[in-house]
Amino acid sequence: MSATLTTVPAELSPKGIARLTNFRLIPRVDTYPAVVAFAQTAIGKLVLLVLFGLGLAYASTDWLILTLCLALITFLPAQRRILVTISALLFAVIVPWKFFKQPFYSVALMVLVLTLAALLFWCATLWPRSWYGKRPVFVFLSSFSLLIVIASYIPQGTRAHQLVWDFTSSLSVYIWFICYSLLDRSSPSRDPFSLQLGSYRPFWGSTNTPFAKGAAYLRRIEAHNPEQLAVTQLKGVKLLAWSIVLSLFAQAFNYCAYGYLHVPQFYQALYLSANRTPLPWYHCWASILAGFFGSIVTFSAFGHRIIACCRMAGFNALRNTYRPLSSRTIAEFFNRYYFYFKELLVDVFFYPFFLRYFKKHHKLRLVGAIFAAACFGNAFYHFVRDLGFIQTFGLREALISYQVYLFYCFLLAAAISVSQLRHRKPAPSGFIRGQLWPSFLVLLFFCLLDVFGSTERNYPLSEYFRFIGHLFNLSL
Amino acid sequence: MDRMVEVREFFKGLLAIRHDRQPFTDSTSFFLSGRLSSVDAVELVVFLEEKYGIDFAEVGFDQSQIDSVEAIASLLSTVKAIG
Repeated sequence: MSATLTTVPAELSPKGIARLTNFRLIPRVDTYPAVVAFAQTAIGKLVLLVLFGLGLAYASTDWLILTLCLALITFLPAQRRILVTISALLFAVIVPWKFFKQPFYSVALMVLVLTLAALLFWCATLWPRSWYGKRPVFVFLSSFSLLIVIASYIPQGTRAHQLVWDFTSSLSVYIWFICYSLLDRSSPSRDPFSLQLGSYRPFWGSTNTPFAKGAAYLRRIEAHNPEQLAVTQLKGVKLLAWSIVLSLFAQAFNYCAYGYLHVPQFYQALYLSANRTPLPWYHCWASILAGFFGSIVTFSAFGHRIIACCRMAGFNALRNTYRPLSSRTIAEFFNRYYFYFKELLVDVFFYPFFLRYFKKHHKLRLVGAIFAAACFGNAFYHFVRDLGFIQTFGLREALISYQVYLFYCFLLAAAISVSQLRHRKPAPSGFIRGQLWPSFLVLLFFCLLDVFGSTERNYPLSEYFRFIGHLFNLSL
Repeated sequence: MDRMVEVREFFKGLLAIRHDRQPFTDSTSFFLSGRLSSVDAVELVVFLEEKYGIDFAEVGFDQSQIDSVEAIASLLSTVKAIG
């Protein structure tokens, strides 16, 4: 008996377990001194750029020009920030030129928007004590909202209608980037507008959410010596490799789920539910589980590619998505799934509320700030992102059809509030009670919440509740 | 207790909740490095407001001001000088 107890299989010995937990599909080359030293040499930089370019060729259509920009930035680190600005302008004007319907008109609108951004930035820095200088982000977002209201009341079919909407749409693409510049106004080490511009839809990619935030963040995470640059670039190459692995996995998963197992897509299941021919409850569950899991993997791969390019340019940015499946609380998942969107909401909506209001009422202060960010900010972000709805259907109809996403934002904010109000304490020990069970509950919550996360506006809220009913075999 | 000792202890408490027992120095970055999240930053803000009377609405808030023990020391001395 004792003999069998002492003969622990190699793979279960402490050494074996440690080896298993430390296993990395992509080795931590950024911690190998010899590799870091090699990456600082001219040949090492070239090797990294070639490897990165090859990876990008798989992941991006603009891989060649992107790699050339990265090469310039790699070999001229002293000019990094201005090269980032030049590259951003290149990717804003030259690269998409052939896709513009009216190139000169589109570029003129962009110039107008960026001129406005420069004026807003300079005014905020020149007159910090003025009414505008004290709350530039609030004034800017309020004015933008007013512009949308005015635009929606200009009669359709007129030249003015088209012009105002074209300008509003162009501005909407940049508003959150402008917000980050305005937040940087009072920093003693703030960058001039020429460098702020590099963070406006940076060349490494972004959505309407600024990836790697604004210029202030870029200043802090920039590599300041050859060693830091080498480590950051090695991390970039690793992250791109991981992004490719995830993309391949997502393709395989989608093939298995939708091609082989014929799991219905969520929109199909919802369509059938809305047409009173619902799928069996287990098919409904399969559709939301597959959709939720697939979107996490795909979105992770997308974010990793962008951050990999950012790192390759010499900025040690945090990942956009970081192990969301291991989240033990709702707030943690929100933080881990779409980090830069969460940061935007925190910087633009959460802190301004939290630092000003209800300071004597701790819980009210926290809940108010969470609702300002996760409910109002989240809803506002998506409402102004999809301006086409307002332009086509009018402001009132667009607001009414937005009910599903508004409900989603409300639920999300309420859940984060509850999650944050509960006393924070160390997780219970043990893998099942401490990690697996809380993570399962968090993922189940977000999986169900995701049903309401659609911004498509095809069905009223009642249809989504009907679908939730079908998940539990209830006919509503 | 010395202010910086209190701040260090507070950081230690935040890290303990995350099962992070890695050592840190006064210059260790917590928020920009991702070691702590913005949720933890909120707790730190409340701690600094209550313990040292800092009004971030007045002095302006930037996460880099509270990113390390050193940054907080510098913030506290600036606020004291202004006050």
